[in-house]
Amino acid sequence: MTVLIILGSLFGLLLMRVPVAFALGTVGLAMLLIGGFSPLMAPQSMLSTLDGFILLAVPLFLLMSNVLLKGGVGQDLFAAVQAWVGHWPGGLAVATILSCGVFAAISGSSVATAATIGTVAIPEMISRGYDRRFVYGLLAAGGTLGILIPPSIPMIVYGFVTEESVISLFLAGVGPGLLLITLFIGFSMIYARYWGGFVDQPAADWATRKATSKRALPSVGLAMLIIGGIYAGAFTPTEAAAIGFSAAVVITALVLRTLTWRGFKEACVESMITTVAILLIIGGAKIFGKAIALYRIPQDISTFLSQAIDTPLVFILAVTVVLLLMGLVFEALSMVLIMTPVLLPAAMNMGFDPIWFGIYMVIMVECALITPPVGLNLYVIQSVAKAPLGEVAHGVLMFLWLMFITVAVLYVWPDLALYIPFKL
Amino acid sequence: MRSFNLLVAMAASVAAVLFALAGVMLSYEVVARYFFSSPTIWAAELSQLCLIWGSFLGMSWLLAEQRHIRVDAVAFLLPERLRRCLDAFAMVVVALFAVIVAVWGFDIFFDSFSRGRTTGSLLNLPSWIAELSIPVGFMLLFAQALIETLRAWKGLHKQASVHEV
Repeated sequence: MTVLIILGSLFGLLLMRVPVAFALGTVGLAMLLIGGFSPLMAPQSMLSTLDGFILLAVPLFLLMSNVLLKGGVGQDLFAAVQAWVGHWPGGLAVATILSCGVFAAISGSSVATAATIGTVAIPEMISRGYDRRFVYGLLAAGGTLGILIPPSIPMIVYGFVTEESVISLFLAGVGPGLLLITLFIGFSMIYARYWGGFVDQPAADWATRKATSKRALPSVGLAMLIIGGIYAGAFTPTEAAAIGFSAAVVITALVLRTLTWRGFKEACVESMITTVAILLIIGGAKIFGKAIALYRIPQDISTFLSQAIDTPLVFILAVTVVLLLMGLVFEALSMVLIMTPVLLPAAMNMGFDPIWFGIYMVIMVECALITPPVGLNLYVIQSVAKAPLGEVAHGVLMFLWLMFITVAVLYVWPDLALYIPFKL
Repeated sequence: MRSFNLLVAMAASVAAVLFALAGVMLSYEVVARYFFSSPTIWAAELSQLCLIWGSFLGMSWLLAEQRHIRVDAVAFLLPERLRRCLDAFAMVVVALFAVIVAVWGFDIFFDSFSRGRTTGSLLNLPSWIAELSIPVGFMLLFAQALIETLRAWKGLHKQASVHEV
């Protein structure tokens, strides 16, 4: 009963458009006051959240990808990949996915990935006669690679709230990320073969390949530096983000000479907005999390679930349905923050690895990002392409299925995620 | 009123600068450690302070600009008048939350301040430097939420825009 009242008031506040951060904080605070606990816990939780070194990686990764975005790195990257694979069947689509994959290795955000690559790829593909819906779907879905392939802001947040290693999470994202890229590319080539009807591109000559690759090289090098550095233990994710930010400024301002002072300022302001929005939600979720823990709610739910559900498969299916439904109306990170403390104890009872569960959550978040009516990547593509939301939403359907396949493979074969961090 | 808007916008600019500054400090730290084997004692701690102050300074401006994340799906289906009432109510909720956190946050700050408590870390800074950000940030938020309540009631809200990871 208490559970229903608490969840009811939380969802009530959320649907009345109280910002997520303050809705979580308010319900948590109310629970503390009603339960006779000290409200001092509210400011304390907020403060202790922001005192986490790992969360410093959030603004820094955002700064890095926004600087690269303003510096027009997406253009160079896409041009280079296109020069190499553009003449394949569905070549532009393949180039788009590969560019998303490479940019995902620099950026921790799916919106930044969709926006960066979308700005260049969408006009190019449409002028070549690709079906609009397919193009929008491809970009919205391809953008979500940004949070599965490290670095990844949702993984940082998941690692922070569960106290799991962010490095392990990053490494665990690589396998499923590559699988998803393969599926996207495979689908694009099949699509081109059977439903194409667009103009194929001639193969680029070697001079073009060399010239475009040269411009894309610094960004690819940056991606390697970050993943390699984290993997080798040379620096923490936060330090990698800081180095990435400085390197991004050097690359775009001094090497490519594409970053203007105005662009830099815009990148800083955009990063600040997203950072503050995210970190406050984490702070609010911390108050909420503390309050429900004091009421022993996660344990109750865990007990209830383990009595009602007896096999891991049924558990995952049930959770998947719940997360998909939530994903229809919820923004991605809020979903992770509300559901992780509630579900993880039960999942671990069922024998799921917490790192595995984190990767599973991230893929579910990717689905939430592209399911209407609320899917941020849909909005991004809508505004980049100036297209009706309906067309974008229709286009992502096929790609949603490919994500389900990835989840299924991940369930049957957990090593897809866990091999690289733990067995390599 | 206009000077308050300016104050909130300036706080947001400071927040943006603080985050970038954290990036510069931590880059310096990595370079100093690897190439000159002389790690700093201040980089990690000061950048943490940047994160704390930046977040609490930026949040009021985000409220004014409608950039906090919220669930819009259902509210858009409602008639204009009802939506205005709900928006005003939502801002009252934010104001209440803000003022409670600000008051209790001030207690934390004042306690540390009067006892001269320090962080006990390498720099051993006074604890109140970080803690002061809570009463300051949330009082700003409280005032901004009251303004937004009025604006929502009169239907003068800025239009929501989308962003996120």
